[in-house]
Amino acid sequence: MRQIFGPQTEHVLAFLADLWLLSPEQMTTVTAAWKQASELERAEAWAELRRIASGEDWDQILAAASVARRQAMDAAYLLHQVEWEFWAAAWDAAAAVAAQERIGSGYYVLARPLMTVMPSLSETHADARVPAQRERARAAEKRGERR
Amino acid sequence: MKSRFLQLFERYPDAMVIVDRAGQIHQANGRAEALFGYGHDKLRGESVQTLFPGQSVTLSGSPGPGDVAGHAGQHLDLVGSSSDLRQFPADVNVIPIQTERGTASVMSIRDITEAQRAQFVLDLGLNFEQAAGRDRQDLLDHLIRAQEEERGRIAADIHDDTIQMLAAANLRIQQLRNALSAPDEHDILDRLQRTLSVAMSHLRQLIFNLKPPNLEHGGVATALAGLLDDMKSDVGVSYQVDDRCTARLGHAAKVIIYRSASEALANVRKHARARNVHVKFLAAAGGCLVRVVDDGVGYNPAEVEQRPGHAGLTLIRERAEIAGGWSRIESAPGSGTTVEFWIPNHGLPGQSKARRDRVA
Repeated sequence: MRQIFGPQTEHVLAFLADLWLLSPEQMTTVTAAWKQASELERAEAWAELRRIASGEDWDQILAAASVARRQAMDAAYLLHQVEWEFWAAAWDAAAAVAAQERIGSGYYVLARPLMTVMPSLSETHADARVPAQRERARAAEKRGERR
Repeated sequence: MKSRFLQLFERYPDAMVIVDRAGQIHQANGRAEALFGYGHDKLRGESVQTLFPGQSVTLSGSPGPGDVAGHAGQHLDLVGSSSDLRQFPADVNVIPIQTERGTASVMSIRDITEAQRAQFVLDLGLNFEQAAGRDRQDLLDHLIRAQEEERGRIAADIHDDTIQMLAAANLRIQQLRNALSAPDEHDILDRLQRTLSVAMSHLRQLIFNLKPPNLEHGGVATALAGLLDDMKSDVGVSYQVDDRCTARLGHAAKVIIYRSASEALANVRKHARARNVHVKFLAAAGGCLVRVVDDGVGYNPAEVEQRPGHAGLTLIRERAEIAGGWSRIESAPGSGTTVEFWIPNHGLPGQSKARRDRVA
């Protein structure tokens, strides 16, 4: 499985599992968030993804995105949700999860529409912080601050 | 104070020697002895030339008050030589100090063999990557040019051969018409001539589509305007073109964008039953983002993507991939279709901006 989705396989699988749990209302929220997001920012995030990913990395990212898109499509049809922006959002977010910190802020651009209903996506990325950032975040948590 | 200095001297992570103005070594720390392969205290009294044979090691004079340059010392790139005659590149800093016996110099010496090797490998890698990127771009340019030439040849063949034969067949039908008198036979000839006329019209459209577009003057949006006008007059689809791509695109990128957008428009014409199509070009990340959005009947991707025969959409994907870009084709029943693709001006996938900047 790791060969298919790459080093972030566990996060990709968790994301795929979470897609099934979304309610119709949450799908509508995601669709609206995707429509509102900037197409230019999204294009730039994908361009960055394309630049940083070599042949195999790119295939793994696309594999994650394709499976997530199909899964989102199936989940949406089951709940009679047929707005394609929902599975487009799943495509973007899965690519971001598969690439993780390699695309920097592009992660948030691509994952944001689904983050609105799937907070685990921001935690997933937080795990990918550099150790110093992680330590600061833990210290902040201990002090009772929100991460 | 002296003992602290000696402690610092001995524990310093780099090799260090103290040399007098005549170039004689007065003291060497453990690191220096290890680096040059000498036993404890064996460097004392040796000339600094022993460590850097045949090289001019300029030792600074006494640092005067306010002599910042003197205190800051000087930096030398030398070749060190160890007791077993092994040579290595050395990064040497010479700092003048005042001692009880007069002016001396502290030399800190670092073996930079590994750093130089790493730099060499990095340079080699970057050169290779740059060359690979250039080769890839050349290949893409060549491929696009060859494809366009092949299309031009096919268009010429259709014009010179097939259409001329159909025109000749039309003349023969005319001659046959003069020889026949029965009305039902004339009806058959009318139908035959209509069929020939439609076939010729389709072939002329095919020639138009196959011919390399004139992209030198006016760019891709202008070249697409002809297709959009035809679509409007033939099937009544109105259109808007929003050209905000300010990126200076190379010929290969322009051709790919033109062909992919044409493909998307051909799908609108054939399948979408749209009333309107919106074509947008945006400058994004050193390339061009193109969106072709129609308000047609759309389709169910879960069903349609399983079926063969979607060469047009597959071609858009493949062209974008080859050019180092990406694409997205989305639709749903009743929601129209959105084709979106981004083509970089010079496709160098696998290189981050930082890396390309370093190469540049």
